[in-house]
This record gives sequence, C-alpha cells and structure tokens, in this order.
Amino acid sequence: MSSFAPENAKPIDGFSEEALTHLDAMFGVACKLTRNPTEAEDLVQDAFVKAMRAKDQFHPGTNLKAWLFRILTNTFINKYRRGGLERSVFDGPDADPLADGWVSANTMRQLRDPEQVALLPMVEQEIQRALDQLPPEFKLAVILCDVEEFSYEEISQIMNCPIGTVMSRLHRGRKLLQRTLYNHALAMGIIKGEEKFGEGVALAHGATGASVAARDGKPADLAAYRAKKRGAA
Amino acid sequence: MSTALLQQTCRDYVRLLGSFLDGELDPPGMLEVESHVSRCNGCSEHVELLRATRASMQRTVRRNAPDALRNRIAVAMNAEVARTQSREARETQLDEQASQERQDRDEKRAGSGLLGWRTMVPLASAAALALFWGAATRGPANANHVGSPEQTAGIGDDLLAELVAEHSQPLPPEATDAKSVRGLEKYVGLPLHTGSFEKGGARLVGGRVIPMRQMRAAMLQYVVMNGDEPRRVSVIVYDPSKIQVNASDLSPRAVGTARVQVGQSKGYSVAVTQRGGVGYALATDMDADRSAQFVARAYDE
Repeated sequence: MSSFAPENAKPIDGFSEEALTHLDAMFGVACKLTRNPTEAEDLVQDAFVKAMRAKDQFHPGTNLKAWLFRILTNTFINKYRRGGLERSVFDGPDADPLADGWVSANTMRQLRDPEQVALLPMVEQEIQRALDQLPPEFKLAVILCDVEEFSYEEISQIMNCPIGTVMSRLHRGRKLLQRTLYNHALAMGIIKGEEKFGEGVALAHGATGASVAARDGKPADLAAYRAKKRGAA
Repeated sequence: MSTALLQQTCRDYVRLLGSFLDGELDPPGMLEVESHVSRCNGCSEHVELLRATRASMQRTVRRNAPDALRNRIAVAMNAEVARTQSREARETQLDEQASQERQDRDEKRAGSGLLGWRTMVPLASAAALALFWGAATRGPANANHVGSPEQTAGIGDDLLAELVAEHSQPLPPEATDAKSVRGLEKYVGLPLHTGSFEKGGARLVGGRVIPMRQMRAAMLQYVVMNGDEPRRVSVIVYDPSKIQVNASDLSPRAVGTARVQVGQSKGYSVAVTQRGGVGYALATDMDADRSAQFVARAYDE
C-alpha cells in the first residue's frame, strides 16, 4: 500500500518532504477522530495545507511531528467540535465513574491473555469499538500517548492543556477502555465474573445488565464464540 | 485485614501505573512503583494489561495512508510552495500528478460532495472539471488549433455575458501561478501565457477552466493597481474560430499595433482582441482606455 510508484507526486521542498513522513501517523489518528476514512482524508489534507501555510511559525529543530499533530487537533476541533475538546459529559460530577482497582489480577490476566491467540482479532476489534466510544479528548490523549508515543509534555502542547489534565484524561481514558473490554469479555464468556475469584478487590459498579445476564444465563462457550467470529469475518 | 491494606496500598499505586508505564514519573517515583509492582501480583497484572492494551491499540490505530491521499497532499503542498515562493519554473511532474489526481478522483471521490479544500488544489480541481465535462476533447493542446466550422456560431453574446458573470461573481481559481495555469492548457486547447498581461504591473491571481457550450475557455484573473486601488481584471482566453464576439456593441480602437474593441456590459468595461488565432476578452471596472491597454498586451506575447 505504501509503495511509491515512480509517477507519484514528489514533494518539492524539504519541509513538505519531512512533513509527509508523518502522514501515516496523522491519517491513523484522523481516522480514529473522525471515524470516517473520507473525512479523515479531508482532515489530514486540511492540516497539511495549514501547516504549509504556517511553516514559518515552525522552529526548525523542534518536534515537527508534535507541531503537525497540534495543527491536526486544532483543525479537527475547528471543523467538528467548535466548542473545543473541554466540554464533555465526562467532565461533569460523574467524571470518574470507575474506581481504581475494580477488577482482580486474575481477571486482568484473562483480559490480557484470553488463553488463545485465536482471540486476538476479537480483542483488537473490541479495542477499536471501545476506542470509538471514548469521548474525543480521552481518545486523543490515549492515542497520542499509547500509539504515537508522545511525551506528556508534547501531548499537553498538542492538546493545549496542562500536563495534569493530560494525565487525568489518560488515566480515565484507559480505565474506560478497560471497562469496555472487561464488559465485552464478560458478555462473551471469555472471563468469569469477579465474585468467583474475589481476591478482595470488589467491582466498583458491577457489570452491566447485559453482561450479568450473559454470565448468569448462558455463558457463551469459546468454541461457539470462535465459530461465530469466523462466520462474521 | 491484609487485603484491605493491600487494596489501600494498590489503590494509591494504581493511579501511578499508567505514568509508570509511560516512563513519566520522576526517577524516585519510577523506582518506588517498580519495587511495588515487582512484589504485587495485582499491580503487576495491571501493568501487563495496560501494556497489552497499548500493543493492541497500536495495531488497531496504525495504518498506511492511501497513496492517493499522499499524492494529493504532495500536490497541494507543492502548489503552496509554488504560490508562496518564486514562480520560476521547476522541474516537477505536474502533468502526471494531474492525471494521477484524475484517476484518484475518478475512483474515490467523484460525487462525494466534500468540496471544501479542493479549491486549494489547482490541478486536482482541473482534473475534476475535466472529468465532469467528459473526455470529449481530451487531446493535446495545440496553439494552432482550428475549430471545426460547424461549431462556429454566433454565440458571442454568450461570451460577453459569461465574461461579465464570471467577473462579477468569480469562482476561486484552480491554478494560482503561471506554471499551473499553463497546466490548464490541455483542457482548453489554447496557449495560456499569463506573463504578457503582467507586464503592466498586474499580478496574476490565478486561472480556471470555464465551460462554453461544447467547448472550453480559460478565465485568467489578475489584480492591477489603479492609483492606490486594487482592481480585478478577468480575461477569458477563447478560440475565436469557435466563439465569435458580437461586435455591434463594441467600438474599435488601436493601441499601438494592437486592434482592440472596447465597450460596456452590465456596468463593466469590456475589451476584446485577437492575436495569433487566440481571442482575449477582458472585463474590469477600470475605464475603457486602461481596459484597452490591458488587453492589448496580448500582442506582447
């Protein structure tokens, strides 16, 4: 996919050339932000053109990738979220619905290693879905940190917020992700409910109704799940 | 209870595990958490879960941008370079980019309705227009092109009406520098030398292709200073063997060796001339003299 046919357009100045080395990363994140490849393409192209116009404001020797991501973020906010990233229901009083340590070591091990590599695609599909469900400010913080491996300092510049806010968004974003994965795994019968293990770590809020029903009613067995998965794929 | 104590302790640490994994704690903090994680099964699993989630997320999010996008952005950035930097000719492969763009549009974007940034991509837009009009006249540009006689019809009024309409409500240019304007030549089959009009101090804003019945013409846009005031000048470059201007409302005038016709249309000054088998029709809100002088520069080519 990334092969370059000879007739392809070549950037004609050094700045464009260097900027374009970050295109894949920008596109991947844009896809997550917009959840639509076509819009992601427009978003990325907008960002690159803006970067080109503002390239005099970039200080050579500083982090071009972070600078580009900041432009991407601002373009996204201007285009899709005029109110900025700040306002979210998750910033309200219920901002932290998940207590820390809500799940046992055993369950975490099961979540991490669902005993079969065959389940990996499921996990990634589920991560994709869980990411999609995250509020954008959490999603962006988590992706910038975990996927693009920016430092907290860089993320705070990209998202234009204090480092403390970065940490809080990361922490909560990751917990929400784990929560979604946990509920999914529970519903699929890949893990058992916490009460069976009871290592002294209580579930803070219990499983969702759906997953409780799945667990208590008819736990899906792995073979059936895989067959279904193969059918779906 | 020991579990309660453990839980209490772990709750304190759990908040730090993410930062620990990210390597963002200060050195004593890193050591302390590391020491706890090595002794605590729960926190150790938590770190492993974070690590595994991160790896999955990387596989989920990372992807290669489509080549078409890479091309388009390269073209857009090059257009920016061309716009902001010198206009001297550089060896780029604009024609190939345009045809690449045309394919990309054809395959992926036709009818998507997302037009916003496209006006920033001169060649891409030109390609889109070419698509829109179909492949009817996609032949190589030829300065000596002579239209077929049956197409010669008295639609000159259309030309002046089109000219004034395009001038009064201009669309954004598809090409914004001399080189990319010349890239439009293949779509109109006429030479598009923008330089001669710039000799009198006018600045090229850009050019675009405009449809004229079964043929195409090019619209060149300039800005010229009239005293302290910038004035827009629009020039349609057309094929006079196919489009004839109704000269009855225009009065002839000579500017040097150039034969020019000037007149008024809907409050705008219009001026028309021909040179080397190419027609030039201009609209502006300057006076007739300046309009005539401007269009006469076609003779400088």
